[in-house]
Amino acid sequence: MSDSELGYGSSFTVDSVKVIAESVGIGNLVDDAAKELADDVSYRLKIIVQDAMKFMQHSKRQKLSITDIDHALKVQNIEPQYGFIQPDSLPFRFASGGGRELHFIEEKDIDLSEILSAPPPKIPLDVSLRAHWLSVDGVQPTVPENPPPLSKEAQKLESVDPITKLSKPANKDAAGKPVCGKAARLKASESVHVKQLATHELSVEQQLYYKEITEACVGSDEGRRAEALQSLACDPGLHEMLPRMCTFISEGVKVNVVQNNLALLIYLMRMVKAMLDNQSLYLEKYLHELIPSVSTCIVARQLCMRPEVDNHWALRDFAARLMAQICKTFNTSTNNLQTRVTRLFSKALQCPSQTNNESGPSMVPSMKESEKTPLASLYGAVQGLAELGPEVVKVFILSRVRWLGERVEGALSGIGGADRLAAGNLKHQLLKVLAPVVRAHRQPPDLPDDYKREYGYLGPSLQQMVSKLRSSPTGGNAGGAVAVVTCTPPLLPSPSPAPGPSLAPAPAPAPSPSPASVTIQHTSQAHAKTIESVASRNVVITSSAPQSPAPSTPPPQKFVIVSSQQKNQVFTNTQPASSAGHIVMHSSQPTIVRSQNSVVVTSGPAGAAPPQKVVVVGVPPPAHQPHQPHQPHQPTAGVSQAPVSVVAKPVFARSGSAQQPPPELDDLSHLA
Amino acid sequence: MGDKSTPLLAVLQLLRKYNLKGTEDILRKEANLGDVEYENLDLPEVELANILTAHHTESDPYSYEFAYDSLKKFVENSLDVYKYELSTLLYPVFVHMYLILILYDHNEHAIKILEKFGPEQDEYYQDDLKRLCAVKNKDQVKGNELAEIYSSNKFQVQLSRDASTQLKRYLHEQKSSPIIINIIKNHIQIDVCDGPGRSHAQVKSTLGGLLGEASRNENRTKVYYGLLKEPDLQILPAQIEDEEEAEETPDKPKKKKAKKDNIFMKKPKSDPNAPPNDRIPLPDLKENDKVEKGKALREAAKRVQLGPECLPSICFYTLLNSGHTAICADICDDSTLLAVGFNNSTIKVWTLTTVRLRGMKSADKLQDIDREAVRLWSLQCWTCIVVYRGHVWPVWDTRWSPHGHYFASGGHDRIARLWATDHHQPLRIFAGHLSDIDCIQFHPNSNYIATGSSDRTVRLWDCLTGTQVRIMTGHRSTPFTLAFSACGRWLASGGGAGEIQIWDLSSGLPSAAIPPASNSPIHALAFSRDGTILASGSLDSTIKLWDFAIISDENINEENGNAAPTQKEDKFLLRSYATKNSPIKSLHFTRRNLLLAVGSYDGSV
Repeated sequence: MSDSELGYGSSFTVDSVKVIAESVGIGNLVDDAAKELADDVSYRLKIIVQDAMKFMQHSKRQKLSITDIDHALKVQNIEPQYGFIQPDSLPFRFASGGGRELHFIEEKDIDLSEILSAPPPKIPLDVSLRAHWLSVDGVQPTVPENPPPLSKEAQKLESVDPITKLSKPANKDAAGKPVCGKAARLKASESVHVKQLATHELSVEQQLYYKEITEACVGSDEGRRAEALQSLACDPGLHEMLPRMCTFISEGVKVNVVQNNLALLIYLMRMVKAMLDNQSLYLEKYLHELIPSVSTCIVARQLCMRPEVDNHWALRDFAARLMAQICKTFNTSTNNLQTRVTRLFSKALQCPSQTNNESGPSMVPSMKESEKTPLASLYGAVQGLAELGPEVVKVFILSRVRWLGERVEGALSGIGGADRLAAGNLKHQLLKVLAPVVRAHRQPPDLPDDYKREYGYLGPSLQQMVSKLRSSPTGGNAGGAVAVVTCTPPLLPSPSPAPGPSLAPAPAPAPSPSPASVTIQHTSQAHAKTIESVASRNVVITSSAPQSPAPSTPPPQKFVIVSSQQKNQVFTNTQPASSAGHIVMHSSQPTIVRSQNSVVVTSGPAGAAPPQKVVVVGVPPPAHQPHQPHQPHQPTAGVSQAPVSVVAKPVFARSGSAQQPPPELDDLSHLA
Repeated sequence: MGDKSTPLLAVLQLLRKYNLKGTEDILRKEANLGDVEYENLDLPEVELANILTAHHTESDPYSYEFAYDSLKKFVENSLDVYKYELSTLLYPVFVHMYLILILYDHNEHAIKILEKFGPEQDEYYQDDLKRLCAVKNKDQVKGNELAEIYSSNKFQVQLSRDASTQLKRYLHEQKSSPIIINIIKNHIQIDVCDGPGRSHAQVKSTLGGLLGEASRNENRTKVYYGLLKEPDLQILPAQIEDEEEAEETPDKPKKKKAKKDNIFMKKPKSDPNAPPNDRIPLPDLKENDKVEKGKALREAAKRVQLGPECLPSICFYTLLNSGHTAICADICDDSTLLAVGFNNSTIKVWTLTTVRLRGMKSADKLQDIDREAVRLWSLQCWTCIVVYRGHVWPVWDTRWSPHGHYFASGGHDRIARLWATDHHQPLRIFAGHLSDIDCIQFHPNSNYIATGSSDRTVRLWDCLTGTQVRIMTGHRSTPFTLAFSACGRWLASGGGAGEIQIWDLSSGLPSAAIPPASNSPIHALAFSRDGTILASGSLDSTIKLWDFAIISDENINEENGNAAPTQKEDKFLLRSYATKNSPIKSLHFTRRNLLLAVGSYDGSV
């Protein structure tokens, strides 16, 4: 009853009356007069506030507004106070000091001329009416207009402290399924309180929804997929289906990693992304399924049929970003999520040979190839660590850069095409990730020799990169070629530079620096010169994001990645508008189906057995016609001259070499 | 006026009142009072009574605390049978002690006693105490609304005969300190009734009024709560058949007709509780009224039977971008129009069907906020037709009679008025409430009006005689909304603290109290058309459905005994639906038992 005690006593103090008197020019107010005044003013104010409360209550509000006071004054036949109209509640500020607390209103001087010259304020939106079903036959449908049946806080509580659910009786407030039928009757009779079996049923509608969503997410229709992902990302009330969804993803990843089905893995990761973005879901309970899946997509040995050709790097990048998001959202001191994930990645960098490597580079050549962590996994681990922040990079990557450099060097000098590609990517990625860290870490004189000594093979390149960084003003948009930096757009993973078959970046104010460099090394070098920012791969796992991307980022580029091979498999990531080839895929049967691809470019060494072709096409966004895929053979020239036009460059892979046994699931993909 | 002369003046005034000339002169001479003061003898009754009754204790402000303590001990030590009844005495005694102390300038003692005993008073009195404690000296007593209510009215306390005997014995022992005796004699009306003492729950159920419980005698009048006999609509079926044949397959109309006949059959031919049809003169039905009635009946035939197993669908209308500007909303009986009142005194009307509204002229005043006037708006030409003047202060609520023609209004001036469209003056004035009338509602048979007021009572007035026929106490906070059940027997009221009370109009007793689920006030109540479900909407953005069949059944079963109102919320609650930050403004059951709700989205929360 502390309120009432406060209420009984409160009144103006003599001091405040004196202060007020001074403010209106009465210097020496006698104490007695001040006391009289204080009492009287307190009384009158209380009466007015009491009356104003009535107006507030009749306005069906819980906040007293200035208009209420005005009305109360009018009722008392007192002229209302003019000039104090404030549409919102008064913004009281609070200050304390010297043991005293003070609430005050901040009054700013207003410059009239500023108001006059300012553009007229926006007209407030008109009141509009919108109808929706709050309940259908007693069941509250889970539409966006209704609050989620189980609030995120409740889900969180449930996952942190499952006891609460048991202690609570089945609450009717949750408005989920109607309490009817047998359960209700049992409850009504209150015979014996039997602990309910933990059955987990989905209603028919939910089952249908689940079927539709999962089919659309991995199906061939890009339009439907976009809708399905949108639904996953926005709809409230999916929490009942979460276990199934997560199992679907987890199983899907397991199967498709074995089958090397890159497209499906991408789709599944996009589902994870959508679920992470859903405001009404709390995924903590399902991390044990999601994290292995996501980390598989980051560090798995092989994610696609032809590692030399397919852009599985984008998937790794995307999954790494997802992992970072998961860590950021769900890391607590009890689950130590970030630590465990970091350990997972750093173990990948710490392959059995690693300890030897530290002793000296001479050991390396003696290592057997099979003992090494594949370069792709290394790439994934680097990327995964990089997403976790510069500090992590410094501790876990920088210390191993020497060894990593040796791996890269070895692979680059080797003969395997795939390995060279991978090594190039890894090197590029390492430089990109390390450069900012090194810049922050080291003092200016960047001597190539020092670098060489300290960082081994990568030293000189790193030195170039760092000095480049130092020379650019803020390091932001030096090249102007690739400016997409972060993964701000909700569903749109940020691009990263394409190795080899590079694309013209869409919004290129400056001529693209190295639009189509042929050798990998050259590419990364060229990029190294121009690019500082973290992300720059151009091939994007694009999703036709329903939300508009953040204003700072350029409009999403459309990319079509088309490959056609013996089985005529085509996978696409494309906006519906670009009408590329489509496939229907089932999680259990990774391969595919029909391709009515207008986009596939048929070109390739005729002699090779079943031609494998990949066309990577970038479609710059604004008002662009569906591109003409039949000119893929003018690679570079057209690009830099006409940044709007389509660039397509076929890359021919060594066919036949891809027939490796499917790699096993990477051990790293499972958390301890 | 000095302290000393005040009581003398009071005595003089009393002498003059009783026309005791001689004594008056002598006293005047002896007290040496000047002419000016004598001429200005005009003490308000309130103060006069206070002064005269409490005069001799004036000298000893310390004894008050002691006296209250001793009364409290007496109550605590008495038998359980009487305890709860007697405890109802504590609050009025306490309040009047405070007022007397203030009146006699013992301000410090008054505040001391308030701080000592105030917090231990019942929770629902705390708001009153807070308002009362603003009064800190005797000049303020005169102008203060609440203090005047307390001193000019007697607080009602109901005691069983045995309890009152106990009390008398106690008071007899206290002869030496007459403070409490005086207060009880002057300010408390003890209503002695036969029978055993009431239990805690029973006592609690009717407590809470500003001036205690309603006395039983006031609720003796018979209330004709039955429904009016439906006027004969024999002409209609043919017409309906025509319509239906036009739109439906030929075999259906027969079914419909059969059902409709059932409805006619079901209508109570002679409900003993129904008032005669001509008790209140109602205007004759015009041709288009009959068409409307027919439509209504036809709709009613398609009604869904609701129950715990069959909950209604709710269609929620959200007012977007309205912020705090939307204040009230209503949906017309045939569920075609939605009107929303805004704080800038505009009314907006939306159509809920596909029929387009006609062009609308801008309205410029809103009933709820309008000063001292009620406006009648025509939905035919969208203009204000009549302005009814009569209310002196803001009008809080207006309501049409279900049969049209009459409407009622109530507001800050504590008076409810009954109007008819063909008179510019009110037909009846219902006075009696001690504080603002916050809500008003017509009985379905148009013979009665219910009002809910800030004095925490709900009263029922007879439109024919203009008298109060029921006064119902038990609300712990101001009722903000009222709803009559479809059968006319029950009245539900929703309070500012979130509680819902169900009253039985036949007895005037509370038949159920649904304790608040949250602190937010209930702003909308609606009975389903078949009377099985009560829906409530509150400021906390939830709509709750209550099983009214259970509530009414229980009461009918327990009718014979002195039924203790049930307090089991869980039993009644069927379901609660939350909206997204959209406090409910209005609820309405369509004729087919679809629940329509209106709320305005409040993004700032």
